[in-house]
Amino acid sequence: MRINVRFAGAGGQGVILASVLLAKGYGLGEDYNIAQTQSYGPEARGGACKAEVVVSDEEIDYMKVDGVDVFVALNQVGYDKYIGDVKDDAIVLINSTLVESDDPKHYRIQATARAEEMGKPFVVNIIALGALTRLMPKVHYPAVEEEIRNNFSASIASINLDAYKMGYDIMDQDLKELGYQTGFGEHSRF
Amino acid sequence: MEKTKDTSEQVVLQGNEACTKGALYAGCRFFAGYPITPSTEIIEMMSGEMQKAGGAFIQMEDEIGSACAIIGARWGGSKAMTATSGPGYTLMQEAIGFAAVTETPIVIVNVQRGGPSTGQPTLSSQQDIYQARYGSHGDYGIIVLAPSSVQEMYDFTVRAFELAEQFRTPVILLADEVVGHMREKITIHKGVQSFQKPKQKYSVSPSVDFFKGNHTTVEGQLHDELGRRIGHLADRSGEFIEQITRKIDDHVDMIADISTYCMEDADVAIVAYGSVARPSLNAVKKARGIKDDRILPKFRMVTDLFRRGVTETIKTDYSHLKVGLVKINTVWPFPEKLLRQATEHVQMVIVPEMNVGKYCREVERVLSDKKVIPMPKCGGNIHTPKELLDEILEEVGVDE
Repeated sequence: MRINVRFAGAGGQGVILASVLLAKGYGLGEDYNIAQTQSYGPEARGGACKAEVVVSDEEIDYMKVDGVDVFVALNQVGYDKYIGDVKDDAIVLINSTLVESDDPKHYRIQATARAEEMGKPFVVNIIALGALTRLMPKVHYPAVEEEIRNNFSASIASINLDAYKMGYDIMDQDLKELGYQTGFGEHSRF
Repeated sequence: MEKTKDTSEQVVLQGNEACTKGALYAGCRFFAGYPITPSTEIIEMMSGEMQKAGGAFIQMEDEIGSACAIIGARWGGSKAMTATSGPGYTLMQEAIGFAAVTETPIVIVNVQRGGPSTGQPTLSSQQDIYQARYGSHGDYGIIVLAPSSVQEMYDFTVRAFELAEQFRTPVILLADEVVGHMREKITIHKGVQSFQKPKQKYSVSPSVDFFKGNHTTVEGQLHDELGRRIGHLADRSGEFIEQITRKIDDHVDMIADISTYCMEDADVAIVAYGSVARPSLNAVKKARGIKDDRILPKFRMVTDLFRRGVTETIKTDYSHLKVGLVKINTVWPFPEKLLRQATEHVQMVIVPEMNVGKYCREVERVLSDKKVIPMPKCGGNIHTPKELLDEILEEVGVDE
C-alpha cells in the first residue's frame, strides 16, 4: 500500500507544515512508513511551493510522489502547475476561496475565507488539513491533533486546534450530505 | 513518540535534524557554522542542542572561520563538526587541507545544492562529488560518506565521527538537498556512543592525549611525529605524503561499505550513491516486476477504507530483466574491491547521478571490462523511477 499525497500553494501559506503534520500523523500516530519532501524557491514568502508525503506500510524506496493519489491545492498557481499528473480518481481538495475549478469531483473548503472570519489568516493550512484528515483513510484525528500540540506554543496551538476541528467538521458535514464515508472510492472506479 | 527499547526511540525527523542528533550521539560537543540553505536546519538545531548538551556553539563570520574553529576545538579536546552547502564548502577547502596535514579528526557536512557559485539554493545536486575528494590543494587522503535516507543521515554521521577519530582525518558527510530536507521515521539512540579506541595508530602527526598536557606543534607544513618541520627534506616529505594518503588507501577494507539489492543473478546493475539510490531501487523493483505498491490483503480485511487501489499498476512485466542495484555508502575512498565483487557477473552498469556524469568515470576505471553507461541529470530534480526504467529498457533493447 502506498499513498502519494501532494500539497501545493504559495510560500508562506503553510504548505510544508501541513504536509509535515500529516506525515507525523501517519508516521507516529499510526504504524506507517512515511517520506516527506518539499520543493520551493529561494524566496521567504510567495513563489510556488510544493510538499509531498508518501505513506506506505512497506519500506519506501522512491521518496517523491509517483503519480498523485491525494492533491491539496491552496492557491491557483499551485493548482494549475501540479494538477497535471494527478490521477483521475484521486482525492482533490481545493481551497475554494482562491482556487477556481469547475471539476465536480473536487472537494472544496473555503479555507482562506474561514481563516479570515476567525481573524487568524495564518491557519489556512490547518483548516485544509482538518478537511483532509476527514477525507483520508486511516489517519486518525487525535494523531494529528497531538502533532499540532507538539508543534506550537500553547496559545497558538489552541488557535490551530480550533481551525483543525473546523476544517474537519465542515468536511464531515459535506461528506454526510454526499452520503460518503471517506474521500476515496465513492465516485471513482470502485 | 514510541519507545522500542530503553535506549532507542522512533521519531519523525528531517535529514538535517537526524544529522544533528547523530552528531550529539557520537559525542560532538563543539559546533561552528554559518547558515546556508539547504543545511541551515543543522546549524539552527545545534544552536540549541549544544547548550543543552553542555557543549559550545558559535555562529562564525563565514565558512572559512567555521572550519578553522572546529580544527581548533578538536585540538582543544572537543569532538567537533560544521555543516554547510556548496558555496560554503568551497570556502572551507583551505581548512580541509590543514585538517588533513595536521591529521585533525573533524566532521564536515556538505548538504549539496545546485552549483556552480550561488547556483540553486533550494534544489538538489551531487555536483560536489569530486570536490569532496580533491577539493583542497596538494595530496591527501579523505573519507566521504553519502547517505541516502534520514536513517543514514543519523547512522553515517555517527560513523563519520568514528572514522575521523580512527584514521585521524577529516571526514565529509556528503548529503544532498533531498536527504537533508526529507522527513522519515527513524530510530535514534539516547546518551553518547562509546567508541572503541583504535587498536593501531594510523597517523604520523603527534599523538595527543587530550587533557593530560602535551607540548607539540600543530603544523601546516609537512612535519614529523613531534610536529617539527621537514619540508626542506625531500625524502622525508615524500614519505609523509605517502603516509597521510596510504593510511586511508591501504585500509579501504576497514572503511568501504556498499549495499546491494537483487545482485545475486543480475545482468545489469545500477550503481548509485546518495538520494539517487532510492529511485534506483524503485526502478529495480519495477524492472523485476516486484509490485511493492499493491494493496495488502490485511488491509482489505481490516477496513474497506482501503478498498480503492492506491496503486500503480505495472503494465508490462519485465521480470526477465535481471537488474540489480549497488548502493555506494562510502564514496571515497572508492570501494573498488567491493564493487568488483558485487558486479562480477554483470555485463552492463548504469550510473545515474545528479551532475554531468562524474563518478561514472571512477566506475569506468574500475569496471573497464564492462559497458558503463553514465546517466547524468542536472537542473535540481532527482531521477524518477520511470526515467531509470526507460534507460534500462533502452540499453537492454527491450521495446515497451
